[in-house]
Amino acid sequence: MARFFSRAARPILLAPAGSPDAAKVALQAGADAIYVGLKGWSRGGAKGELTSEELLDTLAAAHAQGRKLQVALNTIPRQSERRYLVRRVEELIGLGIDGVIVNDAGLMAELHTRYPELRITASIGCAAMNEADVAFYRDLGADAVVLPGTLSADELYAAAQVPEVLIEVMIHMVEEFIVLGKCWMPSYYRLNATPLAELHGEGNRLIGSMKRGGAGVCFKVCEHPWVLSLNGQDVAQRLLPSRQISPINALSDILDAGVDVVKLQGRSLSPDLLAPIVGRYRRAIDAWEGGGPVPALQELPLEPSWTVSRR
Amino acid sequence: MTQPFELNTTISNLRDLHASDLSLYDAIYLGNITCRLYEANLLEHLGDLRDAIATVKAHGLKAYVTSYAAPRNDFLPKLAKAMAVAVEAGADAVEVHNLGVLKIVHEAHPGLPIHVGGFANVYTDAGAEVLKQFGAVRITPNYELSLEEIGQIHQQVGLPMELLVHGKMPLGISDHCFLLEYEEAWGMKCPDLCQQDLFLKQGDWAMKSVGKGVLSGKDVCMLEHLPRLVAEGHTRFRIETVSESPEYRLEVGRVYREALERAFAGTDGVEERWWTTLRRHARIGLCNGFYFGRSGMEYLGVRPDAVASALRRPVAETTDYQAQGAIR
Repeated sequence: MARFFSRAARPILLAPAGSPDAAKVALQAGADAIYVGLKGWSRGGAKGELTSEELLDTLAAAHAQGRKLQVALNTIPRQSERRYLVRRVEELIGLGIDGVIVNDAGLMAELHTRYPELRITASIGCAAMNEADVAFYRDLGADAVVLPGTLSADELYAAAQVPEVLIEVMIHMVEEFIVLGKCWMPSYYRLNATPLAELHGEGNRLIGSMKRGGAGVCFKVCEHPWVLSLNGQDVAQRLLPSRQISPINALSDILDAGVDVVKLQGRSLSPDLLAPIVGRYRRAIDAWEGGGPVPALQELPLEPSWTVSRR
Repeated sequence: MTQPFELNTTISNLRDLHASDLSLYDAIYLGNITCRLYEANLLEHLGDLRDAIATVKAHGLKAYVTSYAAPRNDFLPKLAKAMAVAVEAGADAVEVHNLGVLKIVHEAHPGLPIHVGGFANVYTDAGAEVLKQFGAVRITPNYELSLEEIGQIHQQVGLPMELLVHGKMPLGISDHCFLLEYEEAWGMKCPDLCQQDLFLKQGDWAMKSVGKGVLSGKDVCMLEHLPRLVAEGHTRFRIETVSESPEYRLEVGRVYREALERAFAGTDGVEERWWTTLRRHARIGLCNGFYFGRSGMEYLGVRPDAVASALRRPVAETTDYQAQGAIR
């Protein structure tokens, strides 16, 4: 497995795959690479994770088509869990995966030291938002850093000037009120730990914390109505700002800025929703590569409820 | 004899600094981490920052300069200048919440002590060890960690852990301020909006809004548990008063100054007047944060009346999000 921190020759379209069927349609629709969650070790919980057997089959299918597969290991394991996870990574490398997505600076540094040829991506959960963040994670051993699609083309350009690291942009994503990776509102309200059988008693699935140990699960308190109280008086009922972004019509500016990887959010998307999204981004990237104008496309027609209940 | 502990707090601007009695504290964090537009934020008004550092040091206290929790690229030049002013003016340390800023500060000022803040997401000993290599000399672990986990990091890494012992715990940071939507309706403008008494409520629980920041509605309170913190070797304690009044800063600070002195002297007991003061300042109630491995708004202690909530419903009647299918 070769590290590739030379600038990508062409933009890579990186699609989510929360199931073998989703992986199949993402590859059919033109994804250059897919990322999957490994059961027990990815942000977001059981929805959108693959078993070891499913991972193996999906990896074989991707490689048979000349595509790549990354594994999201983007929770922050406790000390005892970390030893187990590091062993799992060695197994994954043996299987031929093309990289891992990691959320914790300490785990990232350890994996880079132990497996210097492993391609490591700093997850969106690292909350990198500026060029200095990109340089920090590169110094720890990240080959790529994921930035949110909310950044401007100028900000992405600045990030892309940081040498020896690839820039991934989560271009299609839900922008939540709280910055990804900087929220523990749900666990303030409720925190339940459930042992994970898959981890032989060494791990927990934590309901309420996206990242703290084991595999975290957020329940979306932020997307329920709040009563806003001003100086002791209830003055409004409202939702916190949250929106689907998918700036496909600004893709030329984003790619011109030097972005290496166009990443799509949504490991919980069903194949029927995922396929058209991947297809549209494939066509847009191809048009940009061909030197022609990116075809004008309407914002992706995901129904509004997607942001609330289908993620 | 050197005092065995440090009690510190946070102040955002000169007005608040001058209005506050600092005598109960050993150190002050200067600046507001949530928003560049916060009223006269010391991180944006560098002349004020110099004055603030001088004022704090004139009181014989340590002056720490904090920094933004979620800075975009355009924050960085000004932030670098603020850090340079901190060094020139004799600040004793700077606090960083963003790891890119950590790299900038460490490279520009290699000998400067750096405190890693709660938004830096230090969850593990491995994470802390990495940051130590970038000049970190003190760490506020992520607020979600239990005392047991914090103790493991402390032992493994050998750096002092700074613990929030009282006040509203940060729960999240945003890139947007939704309060701006209310300028017309409320007849007030930024930066006055976020200094109002604002809570977001859902049934039995609440969070305090400071515009781009969300804090716990309840005040974290570790008053009963200070002897345990002392026994576990902790010596750096914070009372979070960034959204509070000078009266809160003074009266709560006085309670903890007395209580910590008693705890370090090995004397048991919690004065009833301490509870009276803390309850008076905690409108939504008290909690223990995550220190006991439970959800952050729970309270564990011999004084269950301390959790008295101003909200409507008891915990048993709360919304069951899991039953509603909201778990993802």
